Amino acid sequence: MSSEPRIDTSPSHVSGWNAATACIQPLYNLFVAAGEVVLTVDLPYVDQKRVKLSCPTKDSFEILAETTRKITFKDLGLKHRHGEFTCYHAIVRMPVPVDEKRATKKFKRGLLEVHIPRVK
Amino acid sequence: MPNNLSAKDGLRIIETASIPKGAVVINGLPDVGLVGLLAASHIISSLNLQEVGAIESDLLPPMIVLHGGLPKAPMRIFSGHGLAILISETVIPSSLIRPLANGLVDWARSKSTKLMLSLGGMAVANRQDIESPKVFAALSSKDLESMLRGSAEVLEEGYIVGAYGLLLSRCCEASVPAITLLTQSHYNYPDPEAAGAALNAVNVILGLKVDVSDLLKRGEEIRLRSKDMMHRTHEEMSKMNKSHEYDLPPLYG
Repeated sequence: MSSEPRIDTSPSHVSGWNAATACIQPLYNLFVAAGEVVLTVDLPYVDQKRVKLSCPTKDSFEILAETTRKITFKDLGLKHRHGEFTCYHAIVRMPVPVDEKRATKKFKRGLLEVHIPRVK
Repeated sequence: MPNNLSAKDGLRIIETASIPKGAVVINGLPDVGLVGLLAASHIISSLNLQEVGAIESDLLPPMIVLHGGLPKAPMRIFSGHGLAILISETVIPSSLIRPLANGLVDWARSKSTKLMLSLGGMAVANRQDIESPKVFAALSSKDLESMLRGSAEVLEEGYIVGAYGLLLSRCCEASVPAITLLTQSHYNYPDPEAAGAALNAVNVILGLKVDVSDLLKRGEEIRLRSKDMMHRTHEEMSKMNKSHEYDLPPLYG
């Protein structure tokens, strides 16, 4: 199995729960406006201080957010699956050229919102 | 012995216990923000309603869901307190929506349903900036407006895409009183706060006293637990052009 991070334009269809890396793939959405790309990410059990944004490539954004508590399948009522999760992780490909250095973010009600200006 | 009440268009509504006539039918199907499913599930648990039936169709994925170690149909009906509540723990394929609407309304009419109340979400772009989501109501008849008692604003123009649109239309044709409540919500994130706002409106309309505080308190858990369902629902909404609801109708008046 490759250790390279997967780059998606939409969340994984198969399973967003990776027990091997203790990461949950969050729900996210991209909106391309005339002057910017708006990326929103749903992050329950996350404190905004624990959200890290980076750009692994020119055309992608990486979100890594630690959860405020360890989440287990048992907590969610599943006995037959095992795994503990301590973070959310996603790499989102930008559909148009963007100026990632001018990105701004806000975090409200557990939802991360990133505004990334487009390159004209 | 289960009583198979309807087998129209490959849709089977199966009553495993008697559902009284004259009930209010509440629909909590997976839709925008999972508002209806979350709200309806909360009513079921708060009022301790009993499972009394299921809906089966060859158009549904071949699956069951286990609860308490027992196999259950993903689409089930719960009853009590004068209510019959339909929820679905699987995405409703677009091919099933028309047979579902037809079958449900025929069944509701045979049951002399007092009111068909469908709960859904209305996506708004700035949802995270809205403290108290507004509730809108689409009615099968103008006479029903008095039932709202200020809990929701009547929708006068616009599109409703999916099961709730067809249900409202079929109810109108069949003279089954119907209200569809659409609450401002996230589009593709589970929205327990919007479900709470929808429930407050349901409390007013039906004179119930369902406490929404537990729903709000467990908001983060519910969002996480519903994540996969929301993802699959989002995929199905894309297939049925749900974004059509943002469009302006070309005619008015």
